[in-house]
Amino acid sequence: MSSQLLIAALVAGSVYALIALGLNLVYGTMRLLNVAHGEIVMIGAYVAYWGITLLGINPIISIFIAVPFAAALGMAFYFGIFKRAMRSREFMERIEANSLLVFFGTSVILQNVASLLFTPDQRGYHYAERIVYFANAQLPINKLIVLAIAALVCIGAVVFFRVSTLGIAIKGLIQQREASALVGIPVARIDLICFCTGFGIAGLAGVLVSMTEEISPYMGFPFTITAFVIVILGGLGNVFGSLFGGLLLGVLETFGVALTAPSYRSIMIYGVFIAVLLLRPQGLFGAGKART
Amino acid sequence: MNPRLLRQIGIATIVSLLAIALPWLGNEYYTGFFFTLLTWIALTESWIVISGMTGYVSLGHVVFMGLGAYVAALTWMEIPLWAILPLCGLAAGALAVVIGYPCLRVRGPYFVILTFGVSELVKFIVVNIESALSQSGRVLFAAPDINDLFFIGLGLAWASVVIALMVRDSRFGAGLRAIRENEEAAETIGISVSALKLAAFVLSAIIPGMVGALLILRSTYFDPLQIFNPQTSVLIVTMAVIGGSDRPAGPLLGVGFLVVLQELLWANLPQLYMIIVGALLIGVVIWVPGGIYGRLQRLIAVPAK
Amino acid sequence: MRLLSVEAIRKSFSGVVALNDVSFSVGENEIVGIMGANGAGKTTLFSIIAGNLRPNAGSVTFDTQRIDGLRPDRISRRGIARTFQIVRPFGNMTVLENVALGAFYGRQRERSASVAEAKAKEILERLGLADRANLLARHLTLAGRKRLEIARSLATEPRLLLLDEVLAGLTPTEVAAAVEVIRDFHKSHGVTILMIEHVTRALMHLCHRIVVLHHGQKIAEGTPGEVARDPKTLSAYLRAKPV
Repeated sequence: MSSQLLIAALVAGSVYALIALGLNLVYGTMRLLNVAHGEIVMIGAYVAYWGITLLGINPIISIFIAVPFAAALGMAFYFGIFKRAMRSREFMERIEANSLLVFFGTSVILQNVASLLFTPDQRGYHYAERIVYFANAQLPINKLIVLAIAALVCIGAVVFFRVSTLGIAIKGLIQQREASALVGIPVARIDLICFCTGFGIAGLAGVLVSMTEEISPYMGFPFTITAFVIVILGGLGNVFGSLFGGLLLGVLETFGVALTAPSYRSIMIYGVFIAVLLLRPQGLFGAGKART
Repeated sequence: MNPRLLRQIGIATIVSLLAIALPWLGNEYYTGFFFTLLTWIALTESWIVISGMTGYVSLGHVVFMGLGAYVAALTWMEIPLWAILPLCGLAAGALAVVIGYPCLRVRGPYFVILTFGVSELVKFIVVNIESALSQSGRVLFAAPDINDLFFIGLGLAWASVVIALMVRDSRFGAGLRAIRENEEAAETIGISVSALKLAAFVLSAIIPGMVGALLILRSTYFDPLQIFNPQTSVLIVTMAVIGGSDRPAGPLLGVGFLVVLQELLWANLPQLYMIIVGALLIGVVIWVPGGIYGRLQRLIAVPAK
Repeated sequence: MRLLSVEAIRKSFSGVVALNDVSFSVGENEIVGIMGANGAGKTTLFSIIAGNLRPNAGSVTFDTQRIDGLRPDRISRRGIARTFQIVRPFGNMTVLENVALGAFYGRQRERSASVAEAKAKEILERLGLADRANLLARHLTLAGRKRLEIARSLATEPRLLLLDEVLAGLTPTEVAAAVEVIRDFHKSHGVTILMIEHVTRALMHLCHRIVVLHHGQKIAEGTPGEVARDPKTLSAYLRAKPV
């Protein structure tokens, strides 16, 4: 019985880890609280849904549509909104709170555009639902696919950040923004790369989620919350930390719900969220102060 | 009390007295419309006492409204209305102490998402309490009619404006604004920063608690998933930000604008309304900081004080 | 009478020792200067006295009562005021409002707005800021902001005023004017002053005594003349920075 839960936890956790990875890239470099992150996941999910429903495209192929689309959205957002915002002195005075409101407005817009275009109803599609046996558990193939792809990307990310120059530069940028510019790291360009990649990964996660869950315009927010919890717990910019945090949260959630009841899921998510923010905000900025 | 403040309170009072006539002038639809307007005014003017003055933006203010609604739903028919209302205010104030004490220590943007998270947490706790009590929604019978609710709403709106005016003009308000400008410097000149923040937060919660009671009496139906709606919090923030969250006059503009828009769009295209709200929030935060009122002030070149 | 007594203060940040066993005292009505190269721990010392930081060891006694570990607002109400090295005006409030806040929340906790404003106006007059009373603080020049910082601190009616490099960044004319202002309110308000300065000339003119810090330790203490001649001071500080 418990290996069934464990596999389920791994599947959920790997998706969480992926979403947290994307958030880490946006949040870590620009220090802006992107509360619209979950909505990008939602968009990826809808791309996959319409891909298979209208065009019969295999969701795995949809990944190659959703990711560039999400990244393009990131670019549009970056140039269209943020570059302009940064020019206003008053905006910059309270940039963190202001950008949070901007992202929040964006998430409201995205949710409602989706609701308007696609109706608020939950939707789902059937894909790879044949049950197989894996590691002492029964589960549909689609969950295995999700686990495989998520794991692949996450491991790839860990390797990338250790080995490649760009990866190391990004880590440097996350830890020491001003010093990075001084040692010649092209900050603006990397900001853009991280922003778009973060959005792209969120889009990918959305496709994966759509394979196994029902989707709706309002599905994004819980993912945003869990992503923030993971990033805070795992440490900002710490790729390995957020992977571990994602898996941990997947385990906590799956086992927690199994022990109590599905209706407690939200209480647990938000409870952990609040506890983490209250008890460990230092994790957000490393040495900096998040407390007044 | 200085003459300017007296004048402002006087204007608010006269307008309110005139507004008493509204239920007799129009029909029930218009009374309802103005009731909605008044409740949003009460919510938003209360909100700026904490978020406009100290800069601690609360994105979870609906939690106070929701708790007030819950208390009202539980006590309706048990105790008279004139006792329920203060009880709701008190409950909301108590919740503000419980929330504010830990949360106000957290800086800026984290406070924002924290209040959002708390609001959702309370929502789901109430959902679970209700289902444990085997209640799926509560109906309120023999609720007061819209005219009576209108007068109470008018009173709350008036009170919220007067409170906002008095806070803005007081020593307390000056301390709050200093906290917004530079919290560490404020503490250095002797301001008890935690005490002031908490006081403002509690003050900002009381009237919304009572508004919650009114709203639940109007709809005569209590469903926690509906009443603890995060959209309400977003709307409060947007109305205040659009109008201008620094001075009590600002929210009046923002509320007026968005409520009228809501009347036009909500019935048929609620999503379009929220899209516009989102766009307005973004637009104002980036391009019109200080809101419409702030812009007007600059155009008329009113001096800073 | 000893107004302030700092004993064996030690402060480190993640292993880096900022202050090591620093002790000295300030008598009532004295003007005491604190000198030292950048990184010597001067501002850290101020932050500890004013309550913005807690020491790892040692004590701070003000008017016979221990104040280390108290919150800044409590310490302010006992009569210690401080300015910040990088000034922190309440930018979107007027000069008058800034100073009135000091009167509202300082030692006297003035409740009446008119009395607080009257007190503020008087201080602005003294510091030559009266003509800019209705200007938003963020529109002041640097010299003006530094004066505002002092004015705001004075409005709290302190017994001890900690001035942190209030002369930095000022032209020689502005420095001379500021020195006069400091001397003036020291006399008229009877405020005891502890001041950090790099502008050594000013220290020599104003201070009764000077304490020299170097790498977090006190290396010399005495009258300006004594300190200027002290070989430890000369080797550690003055030679590194030609006066």
